[in-house]
Amino acid sequence: MQRLTRLPVLPSRHPLHGQWELTCRCNLRCVMCYTDCFNRPEHIRNELTTHEILRIMDEVIEVGCLELCLTGGEPLIRPDFFTIYEHAISNGLLVTLFTNGTMITETIADQLASRPPKRIEISVHGATASTFDRITQQDGSHRRVQEAIAMLMDRRLPLTLKTTAMTINKGEVLLVKRAVQSMPRVGYKVGDEMRPALNGSVGPLALGLTPDECATLFQQDQEIWNELCTRESKPAALCSSGEHRFHIDAYGMLQLCSGNRQEGYDLRTGSFRNGFYNHLPTFPCQWKVASDSAAPSQVVPHV
Amino acid sequence: MEAVYTKSPDFVQRDVAGECILIPLKRTLTESNCIYVLNETGAAFWRQLDGHRTMKTIVSSLLDHYAVQAEQLEKDLATLIDDLVSIHAITTADA
Repeated sequence: MQRLTRLPVLPSRHPLHGQWELTCRCNLRCVMCYTDCFNRPEHIRNELTTHEILRIMDEVIEVGCLELCLTGGEPLIRPDFFTIYEHAISNGLLVTLFTNGTMITETIADQLASRPPKRIEISVHGATASTFDRITQQDGSHRRVQEAIAMLMDRRLPLTLKTTAMTINKGEVLLVKRAVQSMPRVGYKVGDEMRPALNGSVGPLALGLTPDECATLFQQDQEIWNELCTRESKPAALCSSGEHRFHIDAYGMLQLCSGNRQEGYDLRTGSFRNGFYNHLPTFPCQWKVASDSAAPSQVVPHV
Repeated sequence: MEAVYTKSPDFVQRDVAGECILIPLKRTLTESNCIYVLNETGAAFWRQLDGHRTMKTIVSSLLDHYAVQAEQLEKDLATLIDDLVSIHAITTADA
């Protein structure tokens, strides 16, 4: 028997990793959020039901998915979240939970601790309450996230905190990193990617840092800078979305990834197996160009 | 050889990409990122564990299906059982 962190050999196409956007609902209105434009009743009404999610998840498991990231919106805002979570965990999926943290209570922390996920990731938008709450547009959100972090740490849950660097918080990113470094067993990552909103609005992009601003910021931290330089020096690898990765949106559309929704396959009417093996390979992607051309430059991965 | 083992309900066995893997449901922080992969014999052994069959019965059944010497099989299974007990994936049936 071998104890491993990943499977040693994979077929060229196998849906090992999935990301599932369970909802676009959220209790926050983060200024850079690309899903918040669908946090509206007319869109929410069209989101997958509990029954549909569990049925599709069974298909995903049957085909051999091992790692599933549950995200949103805010996944914990779904009243059926723990039905979905328990179904995933008890059927042997390694679950990563992306949450804004503000809805975590002692009870929810206990529920997570009873069947721990592989990882919980929470965005920490700033070191100060004023910056944090300005980004979330929700007074008190900074305090609630700090409380959530403490509750998860108390239960020794695997926690990673992350920050997307942007114009509003660029002066606090490294302060957040230093604060996280003082937290035992907590990981940290920083990103700088801004995406257009799902309705096509480019509003969030105005909050992004320029390449020069990114360089100026990240050069102040030797660890981050070294990591970026190491990554930049490696040959660009082709994206594995559609080969070993997939994305499902809140309405049951199977897509290559959360950043590429040009085409989707409707899992409400078709099987996951058919969608993954017969349709995803035909979906367009600018990253899946000829193997000798570099992928578009990306300073740090999406967080 | 008369020992009987029971699977822990805190582990799920899955077949993923041709591998037989065990996934702990109550994972600790140190094992939050890990899975356990069984080889072919280990996978066959796991599938035969039902909390009733003795090791003698299971070994006999495996010898019927795999081209392996009894001595080697017993040695391999002893190592595997030690590993499975150490991660609490199985217990002796009367434990």
